Amino acid sequence: MSRLIRSRWQRWINRRIPRSDVQLLTQRNLFILPTAPGVVFGVLLLIMLITGINYQNSLIYLVTFLLGAVFVGAMHQTHRNLAGLELTLVQAGEGFAGDDILFRLRAAAGKDDAIAVTLSDGDSSVRVGHVSSGQSADVALPVNSAFRGYLRPDSIRIETRFPFGLLKAWSWMRPVSAAVVFPRPIAAPDVASSVDDGEQTASSRSPEGNDHAELRPWRDGDMSQRVMWKRFARSGQMVVADWEADKGSPHWLDFNAFAGTDHEVRLSYLAWLVVERGKNGARFGLNLPGQVIEPDSGPAHAARCLRALAVWGEEKPREALGAPYGTRRKTDSGRRVKPGAVI
Amino acid sequence: MSFWNRPKQEPETQSDTLPSRALLWLMVSFALLLTPQLDRLPVWLVAICVVLAGWRWLTQQGRVRLPGRWLRTGILLSLIAVYLLRVQGSFTVDTAASFFVLTVGLKWLETRTARDFYVLFYILVYLATVNFLFHQEIHWALVNIAAIGLLLIGLQVLNAPELPGGMKAGWRRLGVMLLKVLPIVVLLFVFFPRMEPLWSVPLVSGSARTGISDTMRPGDISSLAQSSDRAFRVTFGGPMPAYRDRYWRGLILDTLDDGTWRQGGYETYRRPGRVNVDGGVGELQPEEYDVLMEPTDQRWAFALESSVAVSDNVGKEADDLFRFRRPADSPVRYRLARDNSPEQTVPELEPGQARRYLQLPAYGNPRARALAADLRHSNSDVGVIRSLLNRFREQPYFYTLRPPKMPNDGIDSLLFDDMRGFCAHYAGATTFVLRSAGIPARVVVGYQGGESGAGDEYLVVRQYDAHAWVEAWVEGQGWVRIDPTAAIAPNRIESGLRDAVAEEGSFLENEWASAQRYGDVALIRWASQQLDRINYQWQRWVVGYQGQSQMDLMSRLPGGLGIKELGYITAGIVGVGLLIAGLISALQMRRGASRDRYGRVLGAWYQLCERAGVPVRSGETPSALASRLAAAEPAVADAARLFARMVNSHYYRPQSKSAAARDGSDDVQRMRRLLATMKRQLRKASKTQRSNSRSLAHSGKHSD
Repeated sequence: MSRLIRSRWQRWINRRIPRSDVQLLTQRNLFILPTAPGVVFGVLLLIMLITGINYQNSLIYLVTFLLGAVFVGAMHQTHRNLAGLELTLVQAGEGFAGDDILFRLRAAAGKDDAIAVTLSDGDSSVRVGHVSSGQSADVALPVNSAFRGYLRPDSIRIETRFPFGLLKAWSWMRPVSAAVVFPRPIAAPDVASSVDDGEQTASSRSPEGNDHAELRPWRDGDMSQRVMWKRFARSGQMVVADWEADKGSPHWLDFNAFAGTDHEVRLSYLAWLVVERGKNGARFGLNLPGQVIEPDSGPAHAARCLRALAVWGEEKPREALGAPYGTRRKTDSGRRVKPGAVI
Repeated sequence: MSFWNRPKQEPETQSDTLPSRALLWLMVSFALLLTPQLDRLPVWLVAICVVLAGWRWLTQQGRVRLPGRWLRTGILLSLIAVYLLRVQGSFTVDTAASFFVLTVGLKWLETRTARDFYVLFYILVYLATVNFLFHQEIHWALVNIAAIGLLLIGLQVLNAPELPGGMKAGWRRLGVMLLKVLPIVVLLFVFFPRMEPLWSVPLVSGSARTGISDTMRPGDISSLAQSSDRAFRVTFGGPMPAYRDRYWRGLILDTLDDGTWRQGGYETYRRPGRVNVDGGVGELQPEEYDVLMEPTDQRWAFALESSVAVSDNVGKEADDLFRFRRPADSPVRYRLARDNSPEQTVPELEPGQARRYLQLPAYGNPRARALAADLRHSNSDVGVIRSLLNRFREQPYFYTLRPPKMPNDGIDSLLFDDMRGFCAHYAGATTFVLRSAGIPARVVVGYQGGESGAGDEYLVVRQYDAHAWVEAWVEGQGWVRIDPTAAIAPNRIESGLRDAVAEEGSFLENEWASAQRYGDVALIRWASQQLDRINYQWQRWVVGYQGQSQMDLMSRLPGGLGIKELGYITAGIVGVGLLIAGLISALQMRRGASRDRYGRVLGAWYQLCERAGVPVRSGETPSALASRLAAAEPAVADAARLFARMVNSHYYRPQSKSAAARDGSDDVQRMRRLLATMKRQLRKASKTQRSNSRSLAHSGKHSD
């Protein structure tokens, strides 16, 4: 029953507050209710009224009415704190799964000051503080991510309790833009048990495959899993002799190198490799099923690769639906892999 | 790359520690709220509260730490033990109030979070409420309301510690808010139905109130004469009676027992409950007068001779005395009228009554008895009285606030040896002599005199106006007032105690701070009179506005409003008030929106786009949006592009100001018309979609 009510409520809210990166707070989408202290305050007013009646004390009546009216006045003030405020999602950040992703938001006050405003998303909240009328303030709201992919908070709550904390006015912003969450890097094993299938790897053959003169010449039939990834990462050089020239080239990070491993774990390995190589400034390319990124170097390239890893197999979230912890429903193998658990 | 570094978790200091300023306002408010209680709180309790609050403040400064759980419990238990020892089981409103204060003091030690702050806020607000039970003068009311204001400021600081402006902005915000809601508060105050008490809660005060009591030992009233507290205030419908006629009868003492006069024949009446404190506000008739009496915790009311009750909260009982139904534990206003019609029949004194008023101890004061026999010897009743008064007038009797001690046969020593006494002495002695002479007599206790307040609008009777005199039964005339004091010190009766004891210099000799003591300094006199006038009006119209006054006021309004109608009106006021507030805020919002007419048209345009399935992206140019809309809804493609061009031209075309003003409205109108056209087209398009499933699929491809 309560679930039904909640889902109906949620639908009603969603109808009222369409997804948008810009949200102007008006009477249409602002809500106001007493807080717990406000409810207790109401009870206190009742007790005061009874005291006034029982002791036939006019001044107690007066003070009760005064405080009651102040309560109503506070309702007005609390509402005005948020009314006219325009909340804009300036930038949805990037980061690794499991980290807090920063969403940069800008709050621009309308013709009234916005005082003591708080933004929150589920479990994290951040104080915007005071925004004078006509001014704006930028805030970074950390959103907890669990999985790689697109991350879009279902709703960002903006709330104020000013002046007395007896009432809270709030609204939601339902952003359209999504943040990109990279796979959580997991140190790739030295020896991967990938069996290469010639057909696929042929497409990813690198023209510069033979470049590294210092490498021991490789023989036909050498397995890519015999590459010493760790040493490669440290020195940036291939110290393993047994490379297959067309596939196991140091310039290529290959999704298929980790045969038999869960897809998500593979992506995590690749992310780790990308990060390591990015640190060293090495040249590398990324080979994903359906997407190939030509070898390059530099932070922009690394970021591009990470993004490609993040959204591999994912669809950009549409307007209507949005999962709270990213777009991915389940892992390829059907079980959820908790990133970081392997480390 | 810093991807690996988690963003540093900032320690949440906001909710852990309270803002110092918020705490400061709370403490100031607490101090303010204690001031009305200072006279009834024990000193040690006040000191404890100061220490505990000081401790909390030092903690805030970081000098000391708050006590741990064990120490806190220890402090709590020991303070409660001290409190219980001091109170010793007597439960009165006073002890309850001081326990309340103790609670607040202890709460300081565990005020750590915002939640504790709110708990303190509630307690302090209720402390202000309790203060109103004891003090209703305007200055105390202002102190209490100021303290509540400080609490609200504290809450503001708590909720927005970083807010610039601080105190001043806080007060301004609060003031504006109060001004906005003031009409509603006034209306509610006037119309909220003053119900009967839901249940009876006596306001039993442990501390004795200053005032006359129902026993009279020589010396009681002279100690009262050292107090300048107000007893009651009177407004007359007609002219004030002359000073010498201002005899306010309170109670009758008829039994002499071991040198003490007391009240006989009255049951002590202590039913718990509340007196009706409001006697109505109807127009005062010429012969009527309103008495606003300070609380006495007694049932008696004070009245001029031969009065009748007008308001129904006071009733006439035997011996022409007036009584409330219940003890007056808060200021009471009642209305009486002087009855000037001559009495048709002179009542007879019943034998039982005669015995009562002739009662004397079996022995004692032989010389006074001898004097009575001597007087009786030669005279009628009236003659006895007259010659006794002559004796007072002619022999060197003195009226003094410093009478000598007269332990044995006090009446004898007063009449024959010391010849110095106060009104109570003389009244007691006179009654004794008259009774010895066989004339029924009784001591009457009350007040005599009263100064006029500012502008001669009303009369203030203070405790030092307390007086005792005698009434004797004279055959054919009934009870006759005899005042020996008038014979000894005519000043006392003509112009008051101050003049009567002027030579002695004993007027209010222990009351340094009393304004009345310096009554001959014109400025002080004027100031205290003005202050009293404000307080009187306050008490009369605001504090005293209770059931009867409300009914009187309502009966003057057309429609004959009863208490039920008042309830409806109150509900209506609340409803209308909320409605008006909502309307005003809606209007403000609307006005804010309509300031930019372009903005409104643009808003409509965005809405239209969204409805057509083309949500607006931030930072998108009008033409980009239009082309997307055109792709989604080919039906409106041309209109959308045209619209985008108009938007662009509005923002980017350089214009002279006057032309802009003229063209601007034109532009907006054209844009509006265009929007309406687009809407129509969209509706038509969607209709065809619905009728044709194939076209739906077709357009669905477009609307991606």
